[in-house]
Amino acid sequence: MQSIIRTSLHRLMLGLRQLWRERRSSEIHILFLAIVIAVATSTSIGYLSARLKASMQGQAAEFMGADLRLSGAQAATPQQIEASLNLGLQHAHVVEFSSVVSTEQYLQLSSIKAADAAYPLRGQIISQTAADPAPQSGGYPQPGEVWAEQRLLDALNVHLGDLIEIGRISLKVTRILTQEPDQAADIYSLMPHVLMHLDDLPATDVVQPGSRVRYRDLWAGSPPALEKYQEYLEAHLEPGQRVQGVKESSGQRVGTALQRAEHYLNLASLITLLLSGIAVALAATRFANRRLDACALLRCLGQTSSQSLSLYAVQLGALGLGAGVIGAILGWAFQYFVFYLVRNLVQVELPPTGLGPALLGLSTGFTMLIGFALPPLAALGQVPPARILRQDSLPMPISRWLAQGSALIALLILMWQLRLDTQLIFVVLGGACIIAVVVGAALLWGLKALKNALQQAPLHWRLGLGQLIRHSLSTVGQVLAFGLILLSMALIILLRAELISNWREQLPEQAPNQFAINIQPDEQQAFSQRIDQVTGQTPSLYPVIRGRLTQINGSSAEQRARPDSQGERAIRRELNVTWSQELPLGNQLLSGTWWPSTPNKELSRVSLDAELAESLGIKLQDRLTFDFGSEQREVQVSSLRSVNWDSLQPNFYVIFEPGSLEGLATTYMTSFYLSAQANTALVQLARDFPSVTLIQVDALLAQLQSILAQVSLAVESLLVFVLAAGVILLLAGLLATLDERMRQGAILRALGAQRQLLQRARLTEFAFLGAASGFIAFLGCELITAILYHKLLGMDWQPHPWLLCLPLLGALIISAAGLLGTNRVLRASPLELLREH
Amino acid sequence: MTHCILSARHLSKVVSIEEGNLCILDDISFQLEAGDSLAIVGTSGSGKSTLLGLLAGLDLPSQGSVALAGYDLGQLNEDQRARVRAEQVGFVFQSFQLLESLTALENVMLPLELEQRSSQPRQQATALLERVGLGKRLHHYPRQLSGGEQQRVALARAFACQPKILFADEPTGNLDRATGQHISDLLFELNDEQGTTLVLVTHEERLAQRCQKQLRLEGGRQVSEHGVA
Repeated sequence: MQSIIRTSLHRLMLGLRQLWRERRSSEIHILFLAIVIAVATSTSIGYLSARLKASMQGQAAEFMGADLRLSGAQAATPQQIEASLNLGLQHAHVVEFSSVVSTEQYLQLSSIKAADAAYPLRGQIISQTAADPAPQSGGYPQPGEVWAEQRLLDALNVHLGDLIEIGRISLKVTRILTQEPDQAADIYSLMPHVLMHLDDLPATDVVQPGSRVRYRDLWAGSPPALEKYQEYLEAHLEPGQRVQGVKESSGQRVGTALQRAEHYLNLASLITLLLSGIAVALAATRFANRRLDACALLRCLGQTSSQSLSLYAVQLGALGLGAGVIGAILGWAFQYFVFYLVRNLVQVELPPTGLGPALLGLSTGFTMLIGFALPPLAALGQVPPARILRQDSLPMPISRWLAQGSALIALLILMWQLRLDTQLIFVVLGGACIIAVVVGAALLWGLKALKNALQQAPLHWRLGLGQLIRHSLSTVGQVLAFGLILLSMALIILLRAELISNWREQLPEQAPNQFAINIQPDEQQAFSQRIDQVTGQTPSLYPVIRGRLTQINGSSAEQRARPDSQGERAIRRELNVTWSQELPLGNQLLSGTWWPSTPNKELSRVSLDAELAESLGIKLQDRLTFDFGSEQREVQVSSLRSVNWDSLQPNFYVIFEPGSLEGLATTYMTSFYLSAQANTALVQLARDFPSVTLIQVDALLAQLQSILAQVSLAVESLLVFVLAAGVILLLAGLLATLDERMRQGAILRALGAQRQLLQRARLTEFAFLGAASGFIAFLGCELITAILYHKLLGMDWQPHPWLLCLPLLGALIISAAGLLGTNRVLRASPLELLREH
Repeated sequence: MTHCILSARHLSKVVSIEEGNLCILDDISFQLEAGDSLAIVGTSGSGKSTLLGLLAGLDLPSQGSVALAGYDLGQLNEDQRARVRAEQVGFVFQSFQLLESLTALENVMLPLELEQRSSQPRQQATALLERVGLGKRLHHYPRQLSGGEQQRVALARAFACQPKILFADEPTGNLDRATGQHISDLLFELNDEQGTTLVLVTHEERLAQRCQKQLRLEGGRQVSEHGVA
């Protein structure tokens, strides 16, 4: 046993010593660099996405008041609460209902929230007093107190310190409620908000069996406990209960943007890993090839194949560990640096993420090393010792299954580690494979055709291209490899630009930050003019009528709705509906006709949000009955639309045909942008139009913008890694064929070839390689983006003619890198080169 | 008392090529005793290097057997043959086969370190390099050395483990005449000092003449021998 340990230790030390002695070899540098890049990339991506995710979830949690929310017509059961406490989660209980708040002279229907002292678990309530108008964060109304919005105080004509009545009890108004967590989700609420202590609720006697009450149970705690608890809750939901984590919550607000960003991050990770994986494979192959003689020598010196293999395995392992640690540190430092650069842009506290991403990065490096470097290393173990006497004795080719299998397994493990999207992988890899096979075959045929055409060409053409034609299979391999590198880089640049411009369109700098509701018909014109004066833009005023969807094709709508579906939530409350001649901005007609030209004398027509229609099983031509309090209207569905709920514009589930809602009580609403400097104008606006309710959505807007800024940042910074991986792979690829080129150049020079001729020949060769690679990149990019846009990103695809510059770009890049890499052919003496190669 | 250290019996080597089978060596037999020196001579392509490879256990014959230091190489697997090489054999090659990334000293230390033969590999390697006249070039890389110097490093490496038998494949083939002369002098001096058995492949008659025994090959056949039993 002791001798085994001693021998192993000896071999370990020997391997390390050999590695140290060989530290100047170029293939070791490339291998080292490829692993550093791979580990730095995955570490950095790990840290970036973990911190961004944590920060976005933190923001989303603040807006929800918790990390996890259970809402519904009944409160969490004691068993549900007990399970959460067992997991160490904090819990808060909230009851929401509408009730009349009154004084001796006035009444006002209000939205009341009664919560226990633990509320809110995330974020803070912002309130102010008349004496101190500066908003303050934190605190909570004590029993016997309420905090209310200014508009309620105005409506009831009360001041701070006065009593108001809710149900059977009187409560003292102690602070003005400016903002509360999860208020932002409710911007269409017309009623003023009141916050009271849960202990006072029973005494009000407002909540009776059958009352319209909404219960919310909130939880906060550690992510693993939350995850476990969310799983538990989903399995133990009572009828009518709905569970919502921050992911779902943030997804609701910036849904598509985040989803696309996630796809993009996934894609960038996949491509970077692929690029660095291939670079590792190329560098490891060169490492192995250059050690064939050394390995044969070791065999002559009496080493068994496993002993010599273990020597190289120790070297690769140590190299991987060293490069991995440096890569992990670099990756960590890079993301830190990126966040430091944009510290003003991302104003939330970024949570530390521990060692997890660094360790994941390290394991990525090792998986890559084992998967991609194992086949060439295994070949090294097969070197026959007789190679030392006859250079043509090559190692037994290792099984193709082993080589490709190990790379495939490594790739699968990496994808599993990074939780990459399988659909995405198939699109990218499938697209790349199709292009590789089709274009590879075409290229082989083209090279054959070129052979005849080349006979009359100048010498440098024959020298440069002749080399490529003679080794046509290897040429096709090189063109495909360079083509895939350019393809990956172009794909990432293209998607980044389109995603970011897409988000900017969605949320321009001056996105509306004010909503005005309750604009009376007689104020409509004056209000519109005032907004025009203040903002310089005429606002679109949308009529709003409150109505409830009661029947679908003559049967009860409630029966059609699945419990806890979007449809159920929509029919349980009054909807804000509108009429409009034009299809509103951000809406897209999916089916049917937008107000058919032939009038329907019998029934008016409506256009429905497609998701709501699907949830309630409503189809075109179905008849719907709406209850508008005083009267009912039956209408027919003439079109279905998609609605961009992320846009800060008034959006409606139901839009009626113009003229179909005449005679019903109508108010108007609009949204507009007002700069922070125009605050006095806002105050004046509120004074001049007292019945209009102005709602500021700055906080929501800031959250949206911050999230988009962070996502853009992640997208931008990842580009650096993809490009770095691409450049390293390019170098590794060139280095892999460098020896042969150097030797050929040296022979030509020894035979008296002028430097200019050599330079032209190499330029011709590299430019051809680059242009062909660029063409492949162009085709691949268009094919993959067409599929990606359509299937995954939900964006419209249009051809990108500028991608046609890729062949030129490829020729320039490959020529520059190639000429630089083989510059020594021109500088060093031919004798020196021939002795080396 | 002398004893047989190397014997070949009816050695043949046939390889498959596109056109059919090619016989590289045909029915070679001889014996060598410890301390002997044998030159295998012949023109290019006569099968000299292939024979050397078979004798050293670097390759296996198609027919016949080789016994090296009492081991029947045909009965051993590759790992066992490697062990025999580690314990008994040293090599010198025409193209030196130094590791480019190692210094002269590190190249000579390599076999000592691989087998843990010496507690002081550095000192032993230094002494050998001084012995071959390269005491001042210890830390030079192969590319910084001339051909003759590189072959001297290779000689130092070959003798570092004090092998019982040394195989040299055209040791002066890549060198000019004067340098070649110097290298062969050194080879025979070290051989005498350590009492090593020497098997030398060469096409140079003068070098072959310095060996006690000679075996001549032509087209893979043993055409004449001098002093070989």
